[in-house]
This record gives sequence, C-alpha cells and structure tokens, in this order.
Amino acid sequence: MAKIAIDPVTRIEGHLRIEVEIDGGKVKDAWASGTMWRGLELIVKNRDPREVWAILSRI
Amino acid sequence: MRAVENALGITIPENARIIRNLISGIQYVQDHVIHFYHLHALDWVDVTGALKADPAKTAALAQTISDWPNSSPTYFKAVQGKVKALVESGQLGIFSNGYWGHPAYKLPPEANLMAVAHYLEALEWQKDVIRMQAYLGAKNPHPQTFLVGGMSMPVDPNSQNAINAGSLQFMLDLAKKAHDFVAKVYIPDLLAVASFYKEWASIGGGVPNYLSYGEFQLDTKSNTTNCWLPAGFIRNRDLSKVEPVDHKKVTEDVAHAWYKYSDDDNKAKHPWEGESTPNYTGPKPPYEFLETSKKYSWVKAIRYDGLSTEVGPLSRMLVAYASGHKRVKEVVDMVLGKLGVGPAALFSTLGRTAARGIETLVTAEMLPIWINELAANMKKGDLKIHNGEKWEPSTWPQEAKGYGFHEAPRGSLCHWVVIKDKKVANYQCVVPGGWNSAPRDAKGQRGPFEESLIGTPVADPKKPIEILRTIHSFDPCMACAIHIVDKEGNELIKVRAK
Repeated sequence: MAKIAIDPVTRIEGHLRIEVEIDGGKVKDAWASGTMWRGLELIVKNRDPREVWAILSRI
Repeated sequence: MRAVENALGITIPENARIIRNLISGIQYVQDHVIHFYHLHALDWVDVTGALKADPAKTAALAQTISDWPNSSPTYFKAVQGKVKALVESGQLGIFSNGYWGHPAYKLPPEANLMAVAHYLEALEWQKDVIRMQAYLGAKNPHPQTFLVGGMSMPVDPNSQNAINAGSLQFMLDLAKKAHDFVAKVYIPDLLAVASFYKEWASIGGGVPNYLSYGEFQLDTKSNTTNCWLPAGFIRNRDLSKVEPVDHKKVTEDVAHAWYKYSDDDNKAKHPWEGESTPNYTGPKPPYEFLETSKKYSWVKAIRYDGLSTEVGPLSRMLVAYASGHKRVKEVVDMVLGKLGVGPAALFSTLGRTAARGIETLVTAEMLPIWINELAANMKKGDLKIHNGEKWEPSTWPQEAKGYGFHEAPRGSLCHWVVIKDKKVANYQCVVPGGWNSAPRDAKGQRGPFEESLIGTPVADPKKPIEILRTIHSFDPCMACAIHIVDKEGNELIKVRAK
C-alpha cells in the first residue's frame, strides 16, 4: 500500500493538500486539508458593516 | 453585501439587481472557460501528442464538429509549429510539468492538436470578454462598484458619464463574442474529448447530496428564491425531489479542523453562532503526513442537514434539471444524448466537467437578454441605482442578524452577519471551496473531495493524473508537489506536477 501527499493543490481562497492511500491500484482512503488559515472573519469584527464587503470579496 | 442588506432590511433597485446579474453572468462564462482549457484540459489532452497530428486531418475533424472559422490545415500547422518550437527548446513554458505520454491519455493526435489550438485561442478570448465585468465593476478581479443598497455607478442613456446607450451596445458585442466561442468551440471540444473518456462517467461521484442557493435573482426581495438558476437541495441523488433550501440547516463542526470552539469542537454550529478561533495542533512543517485521526485542516466540516454536500456547477445543473428548468434540461439531455449515457452519468468526474460546460452555454445565452432588460428598464425612465434609505447608522436597529446567499462560479457561498451597536459583532463566510474540500466531521463522514477519490484507479502512483482529474473537476488549480512514500512512510520520490 502506498500513501501519497499532493501539496499544495491551491485554490483562490487558500491552499489545499490531498493525502491518499492506494491499494491494488485504487484509492482506498483520502483526506483533504486546507493548509492556510483565512482569518477574514476576525479582521472584519467590530468594523462598519457597510465596508466589510470590500474586504471580504478578496477571499 | 447581501448579508448586510438582509440584516438591515434593504431592498436594492431594479438596475442594481440586473447589473449584479450581469457581473456574475460574465464571470461564470469566463471562469468556466478558463477552468476547462487552462486548469483542467491538460488532465485529458496530451500536448506532446499534438506533435504527431496531421494538420489536414485535424482540420477535417474540427470542421466536422463545428463551423468555427479557425479550422484550416494552415492554421493547425502553425499551432503545431508553435508547440514544436516549445518542445524543442526544452522549455515548455505554460505546458511544463505535465505527465506527457502517460498511458491514461486516450485522445488521438488530431484531437490533442485541436484542443491545444483552442487552449491558446481561449487565452486571447478571455481577456476580451471579461471587459464586461471590468466595465461594470471598474476593475477585474474584485469589482469596486458595489455598495450596500445597490451599486455606485450612475445609469443614464443620455449621459457621457454613466452606463448609457453606448455601454449597452459595447456589452452586447462582448456578449456575442462570449457566446460564439462557448457554442462553437467549448461545447464541441467538451463533447469530443468526453467521448474518449466515458469510463470517467462512473468514477469520482463522491457524496450524493447537492446544494444550490439559487442565483441570478429575478426580483429584488432579499435572498429571493425567485432565481433564474433555482435554489434547492438534492438528497441521495434522488432527482425526483428537490427540497427547499433553509439556511438554518447549514452547520460547521471543528472536530477535524484547526479551530477551538468555546464549548465543544464536535458541536455542529450554525454560522450565526459560529466561531473561528485558530488552534493549530498539526505537525511542525516540514512534515511527511498529517495526523488525520485528529485535526488536520483549516477548513471546517461544513454540512447541510448534517450531510456532506457538494456545491458548484454540477449541483446547480442537477437542481435546475430536477426542478424542470426548460433550457438546462434541453442542454443536459443533448449532452447526455450525444455521449450516449443516462442521467446517472452526471454523478461523476465527467459529469462535473460536463455540467460546467452546460452551465456556461446557458448562462452565455442569457447575457444579451439581461443587457436588454437593463436597457428596457432605463428606457422606462428608471435610473435609480442605489437605495440610501438605511445608509445612515442612526436608522439601524440596536441588533440585527442577516445572511446573504450567492452562487459563485465555483459554488454556494453564503455570509452570515450579526450587527450590534452599529458594528459587526460576528461574521462567518461559508465558501464553495470550504463545502467541497471539507474534512471529516465529528461523525467521521468524509468531505466531497475525500469521498470522490475513493475507488479511483491510479495506474502509476508516481504520476497520479487520475487523482488530479477528479480534484480538478471540482475547479481548484495550481501546481502540486507530490511526495511518494512506501508503507513505512519513507519517501521514495518527489516530483512536481501540474
């Protein structure tokens, strides 16, 4: 049985890591991991609600 | 935007609604074409295989499937020359780091050459058509013209400094260009490529639940369910029933995510009560593998009614198809018919990729209709673009809660906001990538990416192109560094792949 890690598979809102176990030429189990913290929810806390769209649309 | 408008009870003007639909619409079309050609096609198309193609036969193939004008032997010979020059230089540039020559590539050389030619054409095309978004949004990406209560740009057919009659014509020209390429290049290519990979219609299905919040709003009611692409939830692949969407059924737990809840990490919390306090407990980088029995991701386990759920074009097309959406049904049935497969084939890697193409075509068809809708509304004398009644914080209640549904190109996106004393007290974004890449939850259910990979054949673990096909079908992107280790965890090889 082989285990593979694909890291990073990134996407627009962060980075992605895939780990898979391969047995008999087929994937037996898989795990997806976001490897970057976003934190934008904490950035907009206590801000004026009228301006948060401009910050959050950067996700 | 919609979350705050919903919390404060703001209704946007008709012009703002239509302009928001147009910005989203052209974004769907451009994003999906870029995804197909530039982020996904090379999982199926062998660039080096294009060198073996006969340009005359390629021209014949292209002319059989479409009347797109760039289809002469001379044209394909020139494209082949470009690829040949790249390969011979040893610097593949945009085509470097592929698994070229992998036995999982099935296309004949001529189909490879045709697809590579269209890869290059799509690069030129996309920079033109997205000018519609840049025009309406002041820039792309990250448009600047949104405003709580509507949009910020004026509309006036008789003003030089507003969205006017000239702008409408400019957008109609771009919409035609957008549609022509999708109808005459993208869809024929998709069908041609898919016909060689039909086994992928039974691989990569994953979780059986599909969600769409609905998009392209047809009235200005906050979070209206009156949308051109309908809202709905499909449970356990049952296309005979579409459940209405209830935002209260969306929850997140952090049993396997690097966050700490103030009470219990296993608790499935609705986003209004959501918490995002970071708590990294994973290994110190560089590491070989994550401890997947514990916390292993920055993505929370997002669930709908407790179920792992896929979002994106496939979910939207399934919800539309099952809801009896006339045009979606026609195009889905046309694609299934041409490939000679039934609706069950949609629950797969190939189905996901086909659904994205279907959505692109039906959306591109709507662009001129929405532009004309904007023109007709302006012609009536309605030039209102922003509702400022609740702009001043003095008009707001002491406390307000809201949520804002949106279907982004990649899938369901909702923001939840709690406003207290004129400030944001809590904010949670539940994004498409989060739904699809979610880790296991407290009950141990796999997320959509994870589930979709189970049973996927991998011919060569050193070149796991099959895994990339399925993951890319959900529309993530970028280079991957792949580490292969044996069962004792010793690293055998390290390769880079795209």
